[in-house]
Amino acid sequence: MSKFWKIASHEYSRHVFRRRFLMALFSVPLIMVFMVVLIIVIIRMDSNPTPIGYIDHSGLLANAISQPAAKWPERTVPMLAYTDETTAKADLQAGKLQAYYIIPGDYLTTGQAQEIYLKEPKGIAAQQFDAFLSANLLANQPAEIANRILGGSNLIVQSSDKTREASKDRFINILLPILAGILFIVGMSTSSGYLMQAVVEEKENRTMEIMVTSVSPGQLMSAKVIADIAIGVTQLLVWALFIVLALIIGKNFIPSLGGLKFSGEMIAIIVAVMVPAFIMISGLMAAVGATVSEASEGQQIMGLFTIPIWLPYIFIAVFIQNPNSPLAIAMSFFPLTAPMTIALRIGFTSIPSWQVIVSVIILVLSAIGAVWLAGRAFRLGMLRYGQRLHWKEIFSRQRV
Amino acid sequence: MNKTLLVLKHEITTILSRPSFLFAMFGIPIIGAAVFIIAGQLNKGNPAQNLLTQLISSPQTTLAEGYVDQSGIIKDIPASVQPGLLVAFPDEASASQAMVDGKISGYYVIPPDYIQKGNINYIRPDFNPLSSSGQSALLDWILQVNLLAGNTQLATLINGPKNLEKVSLSPAPQRAESNMLTFFLPYAVTMLFYIIILSAASLLLSSVAKEKENRVLEILLLSITPRQLLTGKIVGLGLLGLVQTIAWVGTGRILLARSGTTFNLPIAFQLPPSFLIWGLIFFLLGYAVYASLMAGLGALVPNLREASQATILVIFPLIIPIFLISVLINEPNSLLATILSLFPLTSPVAMMTRLSAGGVPFWQTLLAAVLLALTAMVVVRSVARMFHAQSLLSGQPFNRKMFFNALLGKS
Repeated sequence: MSKFWKIASHEYSRHVFRRRFLMALFSVPLIMVFMVVLIIVIIRMDSNPTPIGYIDHSGLLANAISQPAAKWPERTVPMLAYTDETTAKADLQAGKLQAYYIIPGDYLTTGQAQEIYLKEPKGIAAQQFDAFLSANLLANQPAEIANRILGGSNLIVQSSDKTREASKDRFINILLPILAGILFIVGMSTSSGYLMQAVVEEKENRTMEIMVTSVSPGQLMSAKVIADIAIGVTQLLVWALFIVLALIIGKNFIPSLGGLKFSGEMIAIIVAVMVPAFIMISGLMAAVGATVSEASEGQQIMGLFTIPIWLPYIFIAVFIQNPNSPLAIAMSFFPLTAPMTIALRIGFTSIPSWQVIVSVIILVLSAIGAVWLAGRAFRLGMLRYGQRLHWKEIFSRQRV
Repeated sequence: MNKTLLVLKHEITTILSRPSFLFAMFGIPIIGAAVFIIAGQLNKGNPAQNLLTQLISSPQTTLAEGYVDQSGIIKDIPASVQPGLLVAFPDEASASQAMVDGKISGYYVIPPDYIQKGNINYIRPDFNPLSSSGQSALLDWILQVNLLAGNTQLATLINGPKNLEKVSLSPAPQRAESNMLTFFLPYAVTMLFYIIILSAASLLLSSVAKEKENRVLEILLLSITPRQLLTGKIVGLGLLGLVQTIAWVGTGRILLARSGTTFNLPIAFQLPPSFLIWGLIFFLLGYAVYASLMAGLGALVPNLREASQATILVIFPLIIPIFLISVLINEPNSLLATILSLFPLTSPVAMMTRLSAGGVPFWQTLLAAVLLALTAMVVVRSVARMFHAQSLLSGQPFNRKMFFNALLGKS
């Protein structure tokens, strides 16, 4: 047993205390921060604060009140009144306006207007002009009603037992399960990549020959798998810590990050799906590592597994809108696509329990199969050089 | 010269005999054309599309939904609302029962403090916040009309002008913001150039590093000079890359031109013929820079594994335009985009993005090409210095400092 722990701790420290691993570990949160900053910068650049002009023939905007101020990071667009089109046009050509609107005399009955621009204003600016018109249309209404109509309603979606809820202000409740699922998959594919690398490397430089003189292949393999899972868990814990920190800090600046509601059911489903998935992928990677003879060859075969794992991510738009479509259900049952599909669906629907159960059963069976496969491939291929182990041999009835 | 040709021929035949390369060169345009034809067919509408929509859409449910008005705002329902879509319930218990019985697919609860807070609870058994099947827009409309004491005329205008006529004074043809290709075309061009330059350059890296690793290089250097080897490899792999560029860009252009009739695209989406020429120029120069850098890397690393880890050093500048792709596409003439498309290490990708987004002054393209050509000359020279027997045959581990020192000519 002591040999087992020796191998496991060697494997763990060999990968974790390396500069490359640490860099990969910290680069993920850094990239996330970078993306958030980039999105804010893009929104800010998209919202052009150049004024919008208007020529009002209807009298609606005679005593204009301005629209509600835009929320940060968008910028408020000032509205300027013009009396004739020539000056407005000249200002537009000179770049003092991003666009101008002509409101005809019969606007209140026909609702027709004209927008003139050189380059069509971005949606954010056009929305502000619409809000400006609405604010003035509602000028005669009681303040409470005008505010409600301008602010719109806030739809809070609840599941029938009311344990889960989501709304525009609390979008974090939807995003978090997806984020957790994606991080889980990133973590498990990188750490199982290490496993494959470790197996094939020791084979390549002949360390394996010496190892098997003093340790049984079963011990060697299981210690490596345990170490690999520990590496993956380390990665996930560090990332989770970053997310929790970001939420705690971000709550002070962005109120919508508050109101986080975790449902125990959701956590249970994610764990139940991800644990067998993790073991399955580790097993497959170890099997690949044992069959190939060179590290670069292993990487190519690994790509074959990585593509189906990430495939559901391509369909993210479809899955989010229709999380119960036949395609989504089918992909939740195929072992390689299941982890990502379940992670994407869970934020947007309550997955029927029979589907979760079937998916977990399939994953557990595949995990057992993958581990069996890895063990067999390892025993057959561990001392074989220069020649790749064929799949046929693994499944043949040859005794090992 | 003879030996250079020999190296060149060997490189081309080795790569061409690889199935993965042949697949990338011919398979991808074929798949692209197939996807395009299918998409074109789907656009026209036929049974295949119906099957596909059925596969990706939610199972059918009843359209009707219920509401429970605890605030007393809804006094009457406007005549324009189709009856039966929204059913009133006196309390939540009866609405919930109707949902269980399958009479409604979900229900809304309007709380007493709606006017102050604006919250509406929406209860759905499948809990899908983004579902398109709900009637929430209809409910919003009913609430608005009732808040405005039944004035439908006013309520219509609240959501902006009913009919907005858009007039553009700009002389150039405009690309509609809403058209998917406005974003997709420059995006595809960027990715294409990134992939082509990178894959051609990494072929070079792997070919140098592999020969170094398995000691073929030691034997080769007996009868050939390092300079001949480098020239043969760069030119040979460059030719292959060129063929690949022509195959991909050519297919893309033909498909795009055909799409003018298939998808009824306005003229603004046609890439001018000069695009192909600029594409070739920027590919060749960009390839010269990155391939030589990769070859330098290959000369210094001891084996293939370390080589692939060290590539990030070289390709980092090429990734920057990919990161900022949305800025490049949305504001192709902004300061940032101009700088990126002139700076020699980012220009092969960034300039192509801008060219496909349109409206780049001719002098900028020319300047970028000239700057890139100068850089290519400098880089090729310093890499040629790096490519000598001493470093090619040493097995010392790679480090960053050594690489940059060698590049700058300090040893």
